[in-house]
Amino acid sequence: MPPAGGTFFLSECQTTKSAAEKKGMVISMKKVLQNKKAILLFVLPALIIYSVIVILPIFWSLYYSFFDGTPGLKWKFTGLHNYELLLRDKNFRTALIVNLKYIAFTMIGQVGLGLLLALMFEFWLTKFKTIVRTLVFFPVVLPTVAIGTLFRKIYEIQPNYGLLNSVLSNIGLQKLVQAWIGQASTALGSLCVMDIWVAMGFYSVIFYSAILDIPGDVIEAARIDGASGISLFRYILGPLLRPIMVVSLVFSFSGTVKMFESALALTKGGPGNATRSLSMYMYQVSFTYNKVGYGSVIALFIFLLCIAGSALIQRFDVRED
Amino acid sequence: MRKKVIATLLSVAMTASILAGCGSSTAQPAASSAAASAAPASSAAASAAPASSAAGTAAASTAAAATTAGDKDPQKTKTIKILSIWDQDSDNGALITKLCDQYKAQVNPNFSYEYEYVSSDDLKTKIATLAASNDLPDVFAYESGKPLADYIDAKQVVNISQVLKKYNCENSLNTSAVSLLKTLSGTDDIYDLPLGLNVEGFWYNKADFQKAGISAPPTTWDEFEADCQKLKSAGIQPIAAGGSDKWGVTRLINAYLVRTAGTDAMKNAYDGKAKYTDAVYVKAAQKIQSWADKGWFGKGVNTVDMTTAGTMLMNGQAGIFYNGSWFTQNLNDATANKAGADGIGFFNVPVADASISGADSYSMNCGNILSFSSAKYDDATGWFIKYFVENMGNIAMQTQGTIKGYNYNVDSSKVTGYTKLVLDEIAKAKSAFTWYEATMDSQTSTVAQEQVQSLLTDDLTPQQYMQAIQDAHDMSAK
Repeated sequence: MPPAGGTFFLSECQTTKSAAEKKGMVISMKKVLQNKKAILLFVLPALIIYSVIVILPIFWSLYYSFFDGTPGLKWKFTGLHNYELLLRDKNFRTALIVNLKYIAFTMIGQVGLGLLLALMFEFWLTKFKTIVRTLVFFPVVLPTVAIGTLFRKIYEIQPNYGLLNSVLSNIGLQKLVQAWIGQASTALGSLCVMDIWVAMGFYSVIFYSAILDIPGDVIEAARIDGASGISLFRYILGPLLRPIMVVSLVFSFSGTVKMFESALALTKGGPGNATRSLSMYMYQVSFTYNKVGYGSVIALFIFLLCIAGSALIQRFDVRED
Repeated sequence: MRKKVIATLLSVAMTASILAGCGSSTAQPAASSAAASAAPASSAAASAAPASSAAGTAAASTAAAATTAGDKDPQKTKTIKILSIWDQDSDNGALITKLCDQYKAQVNPNFSYEYEYVSSDDLKTKIATLAASNDLPDVFAYESGKPLADYIDAKQVVNISQVLKKYNCENSLNTSAVSLLKTLSGTDDIYDLPLGLNVEGFWYNKADFQKAGISAPPTTWDEFEADCQKLKSAGIQPIAAGGSDKWGVTRLINAYLVRTAGTDAMKNAYDGKAKYTDAVYVKAAQKIQSWADKGWFGKGVNTVDMTTAGTMLMNGQAGIFYNGSWFTQNLNDATANKAGADGIGFFNVPVADASISGADSYSMNCGNILSFSSAKYDDATGWFIKYFVENMGNIAMQTQGTIKGYNYNVDSSKVTGYTKLVLDEIAKAKSAFTWYEATMDSQTSTVAQEQVQSLLTDDLTPQQYMQAIQDAHDMSAK
């Protein structure tokens, strides 16, 4: 980022150098950074590390996907057999559906609630602003396993009712008391609620800072024109926040598509396969079944899913401008 | 000038934080005898291995004199790496550490060891990764049966039978342990050392049984179901099961299946001589599902782990709990066991048809086993193994009052309470059968365990459950 370095030198120079010398340094800085060879020199180390750690394993996985078994144990070349298997694999389809449902609910929940919270901070909260914002953001910094253990206790039903079931039975809703993470119908929903609770603070902070950036005059003018509530959001805030909304959605997508540790901490993928995501299935196939070849195919699929999803979300940004 | 200082400080701070972040939390200090423990993120939930909690039995522990007179240990310099799923100061971990320290002090001062602890959930993954990079530790804990078979085939683990023969210590192993391990390895040799000689069955809370009006533990399945019904009518949850840990429930299916279809039923299905979807297998799954439907497991059984289920039994919140003889560690812990030294009883798996499988046939296993990397094996390791098999029996009996599958010559007649109960049961066993997943490869056993949760919640019919196992078996057989 050229400007920072250039201006640093400039301010340093203000006290000791002459005008001509200052101009000279700025010009030479610009020349250095326009020189292709210099650019290459600066970028090369990071590029090498990035290629080896990120790009290389992708091609390595591609290579592995044509084999079967575990390297070192039972490694056999099988060509496109693993890809055939992928198309026929019912477990893969189940994991994909679980993942897609999770992505949809959690993304909308996290970003949506984050936005609502940010609007609340701006327009509704008058006292205890800092404390409320801190409390809302707090779950983001908690370790995932701690949150999983916490929610397992909240959802508990045997041997004692956890927080949720106690509250429900005490206010008279006894028939809603159930094993929230012990049955397939509610397990994924419970997991989504947990992850939304964790991350909504994060997005609320992002949106809040974006809202703060909006000049107060714009909102004043809108109010004078008679806009309020829904129409204020729809015509003024919405369009102004669109870029940051797209960024948050991409962020949220990349987090949810990698669904793994929160599901592992809360339900270990159960009951049955109700909360088993693609990443968990890939992990299981590669390390429990010892089929690293097939696992690599699933990994490549996750990779392509990430790219496709991000591209799709980005299109919303470009089209409207 | 000030800006320069601030800028320098900031860049130093940033670099330091990057380096701190890179500093791996999984670095293993290579201390030769100090404990090196990588704390696992997940709780050490019990798997097929004994739950680790403070052991304490009546037997006094005096240092066992090593019976190695005539042992010409050449005292070679050797550092071995031990990968274990037991913490260094509990359960088998304590025994292994004690034995290693004793070996170093009394026989081979040039010996040293590094002890690494990994959670049992992560064990298979870690071993698979190490095997792929040809870096299996000298000694590692593992699961016998099908899981070890892959490593036997790939010649990655040492043939223990040959080692025992070479160092002349075959007599140190308990014969039933050896025969169990031979069956599990599918060959005529053993490739691992046992760390337990356990029987499994139903533990019951005597006070709950009295309250429900049950005078004696059941011996047939009809009596068992009648007793469960009596418990339920008395307001006590009949069965505590660790649905979250899954294996606790598959053991129940196995128990019913073996009694109705014989000891070889699971092996035959795996070998293709029968299908998992045959009527008798489906019926076993059906039986367990019917118990869940009647509410005998309580609500939300899939959220309960084995430790919690055991606690429920000891607190009297449930009447019956299936587990192995390693459960005595929890029972002997006075603070955990509210039922006291005489409050919990044991009965073997009830019988359906005595001609197929009788009351003297027990579900037995050798716990998690120890295997040795063949790449790192050498003469020094061999001498260590010899010391191990000759002394582990004594150390285990004296320190914890448990049998590990080795012969011991320490006086065990003074054991009382639960330990005596278990020893009596083991003495009654005339034949053994293995657990549900013993004959399954990892893919089949994972599916069998995962789907049992769906079976319990009626999301799968017994037929579908068995079909899922059959499908996994067929897919992994390719």
